[in-house]
Amino acid sequence: MTQLVIGQLLNGVIVGSLYGIIALGVTLTFGLTGIVNFALGAFMMLGAYATWYLYDVTGLPYPAAVIGAVIIVSIIGYISDLALFQFTRGNLVNGLLVSIGMISVFEALVLAAFTTTPKDLTYVLPGAIHLAGIVLPKIKVAVCLVFLAVIFGTYLALTRTWLGRAAFAYAQNPEAAALMGIRTGRLQTIVVVYSTALAGLGGGLYASMYSIEPTIGSAYILKAVEAAILAGVGSVIGALGGGIILGVSENIGSVFFPSAFRDAYGLVFLIAILLVRPGGLFGDRP
Amino acid sequence: MRYTILIGLLLALAAPAAITSDSVLSIAIYGFMAASLAVSFNLIFGFTGQLSMFHAASFGVSAYIVAILVTTFKWNFWLAIVPAVVVVMILSLIVGTICFRFKLKEFYFAVVTMAFSEMLRLITLNWNSVTNGSLGITVVDKPSIWTPSGSIAVSSGIAWYYLTLALLVVVYIVCHRILASWIGRCLAAIRLNDQLGETLGIDVFKYKLLSFAAGSMLAGLVGAFYGFYSGFVEPHYLSITLGLDIVAMVLLGGVNSLIGPVIGALVLTALPHLIELSAELRIALYGAILIFVILVMPKGIIGLITSRKHAA
Repeated sequence: MTQLVIGQLLNGVIVGSLYGIIALGVTLTFGLTGIVNFALGAFMMLGAYATWYLYDVTGLPYPAAVIGAVIIVSIIGYISDLALFQFTRGNLVNGLLVSIGMISVFEALVLAAFTTTPKDLTYVLPGAIHLAGIVLPKIKVAVCLVFLAVIFGTYLALTRTWLGRAAFAYAQNPEAAALMGIRTGRLQTIVVVYSTALAGLGGGLYASMYSIEPTIGSAYILKAVEAAILAGVGSVIGALGGGIILGVSENIGSVFFPSAFRDAYGLVFLIAILLVRPGGLFGDRP
Repeated sequence: MRYTILIGLLLALAAPAAITSDSVLSIAIYGFMAASLAVSFNLIFGFTGQLSMFHAASFGVSAYIVAILVTTFKWNFWLAIVPAVVVVMILSLIVGTICFRFKLKEFYFAVVTMAFSEMLRLITLNWNSVTNGSLGITVVDKPSIWTPSGSIAVSSGIAWYYLTLALLVVVYIVCHRILASWIGRCLAAIRLNDQLGETLGIDVFKYKLLSFAAGSMLAGLVGAFYGFYSGFVEPHYLSITLGLDIVAMVLLGGVNSLIGPVIGALVLTALPHLIELSAELRIALYGAILIFVILVMPKGIIGLITSRKHAA
């Protein structure tokens, strides 16, 4: 029993880090542009398909395929920011609906190009780690470590670089930030593109663990939004924390309660936390 | 404006004489039901300023209750609507009380209502013995209407056309009466500035809850009919996708009017059928239209019409 619980705990952390990397994109976009980009799930799906195409069809090595996918997704992200998102800055409902329109467009185009048949990547990193009776696939551990590294890297970049401090300044007071010489329009574009790149990375690594379909994004974006809110919108490490809390509560919840309701355990947690701490666990805003 | 709406209603009443194709009739019927949903949603969203994601859940829960009562317990359709709407009322009062008591704003309100909605969907998906899981429930029975010459079953397209048109008119009038009264002015005050409203002596909590419950109950009413017309009820009725479709209809038509959502719903229901495309491209086109409308016509179709009038 203990082994099962610990195993599920670790699985929860791994899934949670995937929620976290997309939640980071959600939280950054919301903090700087005031919209919730639901299309990040679709960008994740695009990243997964791009990785699959580059790795399995073109025959690139896996890391190169992931990097290629991230670049492709960032370019698509940049184009959509230029054409669409920059017109919805600060308007929550419009941004939400534009991103939802994009989900339909992306999913339908991928569906038309690659059909609904799930795609599986040939094994990237076979084998598993055995640790005191707990079996963890190596690939999942590796993916989790990459996510953690990227999230901490983002945290360091946000706190230690000029651009990062500019982002914090903008989140606190847009007008003052503009007066201090920050090019706010460009800053917002960078954040939107960076969040799509994070989603693309999430999708690229997701593809190495699970089979991919055009609809994978929708489940993950909901989890990511939940994680971001759970943690408190605007908190970088909180996005990771929220993702892990969500992943663990689902996995541990399905050990003790019916696993059909695994998605509900995270939701119960979310509602409970929002009611007790409306700013989120790590947030300070009421 | 009022005369335009009346003329539209008269045209809708006369239209079946000119419609020969069953598929056109069916699009109109789905359009009327979508329009009823959109109008009731706009009571909460457009007129009270609360982005509720609970609407699809109200709609779906009621559809399920009516379908189960009629198929398993052999209730009369009209009688089954009563407990369905009452259950929706209780659910919306619970969810509304939690959200409004804790003063959840905008996005947080949307997320918490979405969370409750998802939980209800998971229940309908997994409570196999009652809801038949992902397969859903097939409804063969048809509601009947009492006339002086005996009761007739509503089975033909024409009968459904008038029944759903009547539903739309009822939902529209209920929302219109609410908004034209002092309640409507309290809701407007809450939408514009709820803190100011509070200082003016408006019980913000009570009126938000009232609007949320009334809109949800109307959605429940629509759900009862929808399941019977389509012939099956499935967990997808409670999905977030449906909730967002309703938002799209309202925005397409125009948020700040009662008739706007009706236009938006009719257009969005009919549009995919008017264009001959493969299923995938149809969804892509739907998304593209949604984006276009949001970016180019922020006040919706109704805003476009009224601004032309002012310009002329």
